[in-house]
Amino acid sequence: MSTVPGQAIFRDVPEPRRIGLSQKVWNSRFDYLYVAPALIVMLIVIGYPIYYTIELSFFNTPASLALSAKQFNGLDNYVTILTSPVFWKVTWQTVLWTVLSTFFAFMIGLGAALALHREFAGRGVLRALLLIPWVVSAVAASYVWKWLYHSDFGAISAMLTQVGWIDKPINFIDNTNTSLYALIVVNVWKEFSFAMIMLMAGLQTVPDTLLRAAQVDGASPWQRFWHVTFPHLQGVSMVTLLLLAVQNFNSFIIPWIMTGGGPAGSSDIWITHIYQLAFGRQRWGVASAYAVILFIVMMVLGYFYVRALTKGDDARAAG
Amino acid sequence: MTMELSAGAAKRRGAGGWRWSGRIFLLLLLGFTVMPMIWMFITSLKTGFAAMQYPPQWWPAEPTLENYWRLIDPSGNVGRDFIQYFWNSIWVSTLTTILAVVVAVPAAYAFSRFRFPGRNFLFFAVLLRNMFPAVVFLVPLFILMKALGLVNTHGSLILTYLTFGLPLAIWLLKGFYDNIPVQLEQAARIDGATRFQAFFLIVMPLSTPGIIATSIYSFIGAWNEYIYAYTFLTRHDQMTLPVGIQRFFSENATDWPGLMAATFMMSIPVVVLFLVLQRYFVRALTEGAVKH
Repeated sequence: MSTVPGQAIFRDVPEPRRIGLSQKVWNSRFDYLYVAPALIVMLIVIGYPIYYTIELSFFNTPASLALSAKQFNGLDNYVTILTSPVFWKVTWQTVLWTVLSTFFAFMIGLGAALALHREFAGRGVLRALLLIPWVVSAVAASYVWKWLYHSDFGAISAMLTQVGWIDKPINFIDNTNTSLYALIVVNVWKEFSFAMIMLMAGLQTVPDTLLRAAQVDGASPWQRFWHVTFPHLQGVSMVTLLLLAVQNFNSFIIPWIMTGGGPAGSSDIWITHIYQLAFGRQRWGVASAYAVILFIVMMVLGYFYVRALTKGDDARAAG
Repeated sequence: MTMELSAGAAKRRGAGGWRWSGRIFLLLLLGFTVMPMIWMFITSLKTGFAAMQYPPQWWPAEPTLENYWRLIDPSGNVGRDFIQYFWNSIWVSTLTTILAVVVAVPAAYAFSRFRFPGRNFLFFAVLLRNMFPAVVFLVPLFILMKALGLVNTHGSLILTYLTFGLPLAIWLLKGFYDNIPVQLEQAARIDGATRFQAFFLIVMPLSTPGIIATSIYSFIGAWNEYIYAYTFLTRHDQMTLPVGIQRFFSENATDWPGLMAATFMMSIPVVVLFLVLQRYFVRALTEGAVKH
């Protein structure tokens, strides 16, 4: 590729060995035109809010959001959060929610991807059907599941009763012991198909010849999976797990619509808690400080995410 | 000979066992997946009275389309609002999609092809946006929208939807551009095309599948968006479907069949769009994550 004739044409100016940064910037001035519109939009709707959230987190802002009356209060908002028992409860629930949802969505997705890998009649239809929860809006999903879980007329309780496993309807989401887990089931339902398509694409990169060679050498299906397929899936698994974890950490719709974080905060996670603090109780400063802490946590996760995504990006670069 | 045969049979039986457990797993998973959707549809065919029975009627004794007629009947209160929400959703999603694609195409192309100073940092910043929940941006954006007088307008939604639409669109499109051989443009340049012409006349037509996929993504994302719409809109005539259908829901007397009919109607456009264009959709998503 490096010997393709005409490659030099792509460089507007013949490049001397050592060249100053400002010179480089000037040489690629037209490149920036391509990204400028995107950057301007992102600066307005991303850069500015980030800056403003950080600022608000150091102030006490009146409930009316009258910004002229806001008072600087240093780290008070942060202290309020970190010394509150609710913070640790919500953090623990967020960890449970994120880890369990990610784990089960990934494992079910992996199982489905492996089962769907081989060609059989109706495979395309089946794959499409399994993908539907992921396309359907979380709002629709939340309402349907709320109805399925209904404490008096819920279909799930009714089914379990008819099979004879329970005597009377179970209260799934109005119960402090079960609400979080009931919501995790909904979340897994919504998300496993994402893991499924990612891993199906990953499976296509596993060389058939290797699998056949292993089979000829007498490897059992499990050995073939563990020693041949699985190592090939590591890259895509990393990306999938990270994306799922981020998505789950940021969930809002399912807990908000189904329980609003209740009952008694038993299904509250960070995002719903922040929303409640800001738009429910108008504690703008504390909510902003929460958002900043969240921001920092995400930066750490984000580092790994971007590293996983851009791996090999530079190697593939073109003129 | 017989030894070989029986060994082969045993191996086949072993593989068959795995295949059958795979089938059973898929069957159970299919039940788990479609059961809520089916129950949504069955409930939407019931009268309010029939829905409130225990044990429930697994199939309504007297199925009725009344709930759907009510939603699309423009002379009734419910119908008028529902149709309004529907149009609001279509309008907001379409405009967001067009803007996101127009802005993302040149940016994605630049990230794929050019190596300008700050490229890595900027690409990093773009990708990082995907990491952050709407809530981090919500309070300041709410203040910004108030200052700009955009609260209760679709402008506030379209502007914010670009924040999550753009990074995703840029990333997806970049995956497509990365897979279009540079040699094509180089050939065009040798033949005297400018850099822009090479992009516009050679690369653009080749990336049509990518643009279609990116558009569906943006559209579905905007169609399903809830949190910004929930925060920025309080006026009924401006609401999009996800927030609008809340009116069927109240703690005391929820109209479950009506709600299920509304969620069903809301799901139809995206599911149909997805099923028709599934090929592009799946390819785009996995393009960037899987290195061939």
